[in-house]
Amino acid sequence: MQLSFRHRITNYLEQPVYSAALAFFRIVFGLMLFGGVVRFWLRGWIEELYIQPRLFFHYYGLEWIQPLGPTTYVLFLICGISALGFALGCWYRLSSVLLFLSFTYIELMDKTNYLNHYYFVTLVLFLMIWLPANANLSIDAWRRPALVKRTVPRWTVGGIRLMLAIVYCYAGLAKLNSDWLLEAMPLRLWLPAKNDMPLIGPLFSQVWVAYLFSWFGAAYDLFIPFFLLSRKTRPYAFLAVIAFHVMTSLLFPIGMFPYIMILSALIFFNSADIDRFFLKIKGKWRMLPVADGNNLFTFAPLKRRLISGMFAMFFVFQLLFPWRYLLTPGELFWTEEGYRFSWRVMLIEKMGYAQFVVTDSRTGAKVAVNNSDFLTRNQEKMMATQADFIVQYARFLHDHYERLGMYDPKVNATIYVTLNGRRSRLFADTSINLAEAEDSFKHKNWILGFRDKIYGL
Amino acid sequence: MKRLVLSLVSFSLAGVLALTGCKKDDNKGGNNDNFDRKALLTNYADNYILPAYADMSAKLTALNTAAATFTAAPDLSSLEALRYSWMEAYSTWQRVDLCEFGPGESVSLRMYMNIFPVTVSKVNANIAAGSYDLETFNNKDAQGFPAIDYLINGLGANDNEILGFYTSDAQAGARKQYLLNVIAKMQEKVSAVRTAWGSYRAGFIENTGTDVSSSLTRMVNGFVLYYERYLRTAKFGLPAGVMTSIARPDLTEAYYRPEFADELAIQSLAAVRQFYEGAHYSGGSDGPGLKDYLAALNTQDDNGVLIANIISTELDEAAASVQNLGQPLSTAVVNNRGAVLTIFDELQEVVPLLKVDMVSALGISITYTDNDGD
Repeated sequence: MQLSFRHRITNYLEQPVYSAALAFFRIVFGLMLFGGVVRFWLRGWIEELYIQPRLFFHYYGLEWIQPLGPTTYVLFLICGISALGFALGCWYRLSSVLLFLSFTYIELMDKTNYLNHYYFVTLVLFLMIWLPANANLSIDAWRRPALVKRTVPRWTVGGIRLMLAIVYCYAGLAKLNSDWLLEAMPLRLWLPAKNDMPLIGPLFSQVWVAYLFSWFGAAYDLFIPFFLLSRKTRPYAFLAVIAFHVMTSLLFPIGMFPYIMILSALIFFNSADIDRFFLKIKGKWRMLPVADGNNLFTFAPLKRRLISGMFAMFFVFQLLFPWRYLLTPGELFWTEEGYRFSWRVMLIEKMGYAQFVVTDSRTGAKVAVNNSDFLTRNQEKMMATQADFIVQYARFLHDHYERLGMYDPKVNATIYVTLNGRRSRLFADTSINLAEAEDSFKHKNWILGFRDKIYGL
Repeated sequence: MKRLVLSLVSFSLAGVLALTGCKKDDNKGGNNDNFDRKALLTNYADNYILPAYADMSAKLTALNTAAATFTAAPDLSSLEALRYSWMEAYSTWQRVDLCEFGPGESVSLRMYMNIFPVTVSKVNANIAAGSYDLETFNNKDAQGFPAIDYLINGLGANDNEILGFYTSDAQAGARKQYLLNVIAKMQEKVSAVRTAWGSYRAGFIENTGTDVSSSLTRMVNGFVLYYERYLRTAKFGLPAGVMTSIARPDLTEAYYRPEFADELAIQSLAAVRQFYEGAHYSGGSDGPGLKDYLAALNTQDDNGVLIANIISTELDEAAASVQNLGQPLSTAVVNNRGAVLTIFDELQEVVPLLKVDMVSALGISITYTDNDGD
């Protein structure tokens, strides 16, 4: 019984689906990333975010990932070119590895710029490295016709779908809290700020609209993957995906994210439909390397075992990692310990104000720090509400003032933080010398209590 | 499909049931008329900012006239008249200073009006040289109200000595000219800002967004910056030596007219409250202001008190403490430094309320990079 169940699962996962689905996703995703790199470059953000800042906030344990100075442009160049190579299926394995590495490196240089959708892109790229996405309509397949395969195992497409489903479901679960559902926070603060939009603007001044959006948003995130999976509901679900993400892009400054999600949802389309679409294209342009035979792509047994084992571990990790916050005490939204890499998207309105004072241990001379001397506006904003940023910044200030001749500078901070419209309160113990505080995965006990309760996940 | 819809509905219901048990009192209405940012901006432009610059302009004209009379015939009565006009104009400035965004910011008006303490040596060097350029950044602490303060209150130990600098002194002529030039520069700059506002207004009230370049964001940034840096720190923090623990009476505003400093601080605090609440400059009535907008957003503290109201209360407390100081700031920082530090703390309490609570609730973005967020 056990064995036959496992057998049935394996059989299901190994069933052939049309490789066109994977190839189509590869093209769309790659082109979008290429566009993203060009956009980033043209807006001058490489200079502004990765070259100009005096200080870069690294991830704990990843301190060795350093900014590259002007070489950052080369990194973006590699990222852009490999995105094109990825999209075209040109030296696919090399392109996908380079794209994954360069994109991830950029992402890790400064956690100020952390975005959930960058993380999503990194994860999808990691999965894509191992998949035969160049088996159809690719330059590789055109150069080596033996690569052309009509079908791929179901789990290859399924892996991408599962990744997307996790993003949505976990984003939905994260919204199941009292602030979001019962107070309509933070949408009731965010929506009135957009009430000057034409036509629908006046609606955003209404409190019930904030409730409607909160509840609809939570339900959408929780259930959209299932509606996308079901053949019957798929067309409507995809329309909902477009409507939802276009709405969010109008309301919030979230850049590429809505488009990444809309285009990624294409992976849910029936692979047979995409295959038909590919054949139609081939009908017009005969020379295109589109698979039209009946050849199946199969992994070599050892490779299959290794990759499927790795995918299984990857997804187990993905399912568990967002829950790590349960291991640290305190309100997650307040401490943000375990907040990142957990699909908590546009979930809280948080703002802080941090006044640092550096004291010479010998003379007692004090300096009030002007944060804008050292940090960009974005960095200051992030730093003022997140403990791990505060630790690194305090270290930086210690070293900076020591170089200026202070004796063992003590770094104290008065930090006020407001969360979802609550009155701001002290975030950190003002008596603690933050220069001596350590960053780690453990709870930072100098974070003061939240003194309120948010119920839910 | 049906099953999914069903499960969605039942899930939602379960959610409501599970969570309503812990729901706090729900008196969160919200009058959406208060979310009309165009009405708010129009109120600020027409009922506060434009009248404020007009008033400033009128007071400077009066100051100029008094200075002309004084320089033509320096005597005790013309000196007193000049001092009166200076006090009137300086008080008015306390209500104008917080408007430094848009045209005021482009002109750097504050730099020509009220950078204190005045650097006496620069003033005297300029007078001695007879030629100077008040436009330059280097002269910012040799002009404006603080320079006039020195010139009409600080030259000598008594009025006769002061008058001597305008009558018998070798540089009397150059000094008179400097006084007139300083006032002329102030008039020129205020007039430039006023003219600029004439054309700026239309775009200002139309730019109703909440992004970095929106009118609301610029106005609030200018306002909060004023409160933090030019009210809290400059008027109280630096003279009391909050950071250094050393009192610096010489850093007080209107240093040569010590009892006037307290009055200026009170004026300034009153103006902050008036502006925050959207009251008309004339004081008669009240329009839609930041306070109304914040109140409509209904953010509250743990006791259910509107944060919008807490800000007014805290500002009042600080103002009352200044009233109760009972002696000039410059002596208080020496004799009763604790009381000044208390005022500073009270003023400081409002900083996070304005900078964090209000800005966060208004949904204003105060980051310069319009980078993606999520």
